[in-house]
Amino acid sequence: MVFNLQAQQNDFKSSNNQFMIRGFGDVGFNSFNLNGDKSSSFNAGGFSPIFLFKQSDRLMFESELEMDMSTGSLDIGLEYADIMYVLNDYVTVRAGKFLVPFGTFMERLHPSWVNRMPTKPLGFGHDGIAPMSGVGVELRGAFRIGSGTMNYSVYTTNGPTLKTPNGEEPMESGMLMFDNLKDNNNNRAFGTRIGLLPFSDSSTEIGFSYYAAGNVGTKETAYENIGAKLFAFDFSFVKQLPEIGGIVDIKSQYAKSTIDNITYTVEEEPGVFEDLNFNNVSSSYYGQLSYRPTMSGNSFIKNLEFVGRYSKLETPVGSGFATNKKEFSFGLNYWLSWHSLIKLNYQNITGEGGHDVVGKINEKALFLNWAIGF
Amino acid sequence: MKTLKIIGFAAVVISIIAAFTLQSCSSEKVAAYKNKSGAQLWGENCIRCHNIPSPASFNDTDWSTIQLHMRVRANLSKEQSDKIFEFLKSAN
Repeated sequence: MVFNLQAQQNDFKSSNNQFMIRGFGDVGFNSFNLNGDKSSSFNAGGFSPIFLFKQSDRLMFESELEMDMSTGSLDIGLEYADIMYVLNDYVTVRAGKFLVPFGTFMERLHPSWVNRMPTKPLGFGHDGIAPMSGVGVELRGAFRIGSGTMNYSVYTTNGPTLKTPNGEEPMESGMLMFDNLKDNNNNRAFGTRIGLLPFSDSSTEIGFSYYAAGNVGTKETAYENIGAKLFAFDFSFVKQLPEIGGIVDIKSQYAKSTIDNITYTVEEEPGVFEDLNFNNVSSSYYGQLSYRPTMSGNSFIKNLEFVGRYSKLETPVGSGFATNKKEFSFGLNYWLSWHSLIKLNYQNITGEGGHDVVGKINEKALFLNWAIGF
Repeated sequence: MKTLKIIGFAAVVISIIAAFTLQSCSSEKVAAYKNKSGAQLWGENCIRCHNIPSPASFNDTDWSTIQLHMRVRANLSKEQSDKIFEFLKSAN
């Protein structure tokens, strides 16, 4: 009898090993007007399951898959897959493929139910100038400093690879590819981010990130000794302000990439070569402001959120990937629950360069997006 | 020149850190911070990235898994993490 009771109780006890699937997904409708060419489509969006396996209070494996159907077929990517171990109160070690803390957007804000906009700011994604994830080892932690908090991360990953005229995308020669499962030249990248939350209410965070790779070119090529240095500043302010009856959320990030200069001889057409000489410096910036009237007495109004964003991307003039674009976006969100929202967003991107079109760009887009975190 | 720029940025960052550290070291402020409850820290920290989850959203076992994930992901201190998740488990 005692044995049976114990067995029943054990059914409700958590085991030492805990496995959990979380994640996020989104669906939507997009309408584009690119230099007068109109298109619109329902969008199956994305599905990103996150797998968490906790073996003890110190040891965990975590992984996120990214399934994207926006291109018309199913693309599956591995956002991260790493093992973490809490060494002590102030240091945790992570190893594997992890989101690189270069700024905060990719590490903390990119999930569709966290990002207040249906799109990423300029400078992130396919033509991004900064690392999003890397394969390597990281030490990170946080501690109290006075009445504030400081957090840090130091890491080394497989270094980025320089795109060259011999590669798959010769016109993008001089651009860095960060997502390298293998190192192309046995030269690692090193990076760090220091974040400071100076006030005891954690409302404000200022971060500085630095990332450097001594050699980014493939071994035994003319580009072998090309180096790259990147830095970023990020800022966050989130607080409920009774004076204006709601939560104000400000996020911004500035990133700059400097790659050693060299001449890239690109075959534009069969037998026609062009020397590309340019100052290989790129930069991106975004600032976002949102306001949610959480203190309204009306349950509908308190779930609304107004959001605006400005972002800018500049890549080297004279390169095959020269871009100078800026984005203005305005949106109205409605929160169905703490982890699900509907976003109605208008976006205007102007400038020139990039993959979308040759010459000047004026893209107006309307997004209706429904995102959920689970 | 590049080295000077990097040193310059580092100097700016260190100056900012020093300035904020000095302003935040008064004994009353430090004591107030140390005495913060889990509920307070829950309201102040989760919202830095996403809305505040209800304690009832998950059971204790799930919260303990999420605790380790979020402590590392959001780079919370052990002190913050322990207080927040003790509160969540006690209130769900």
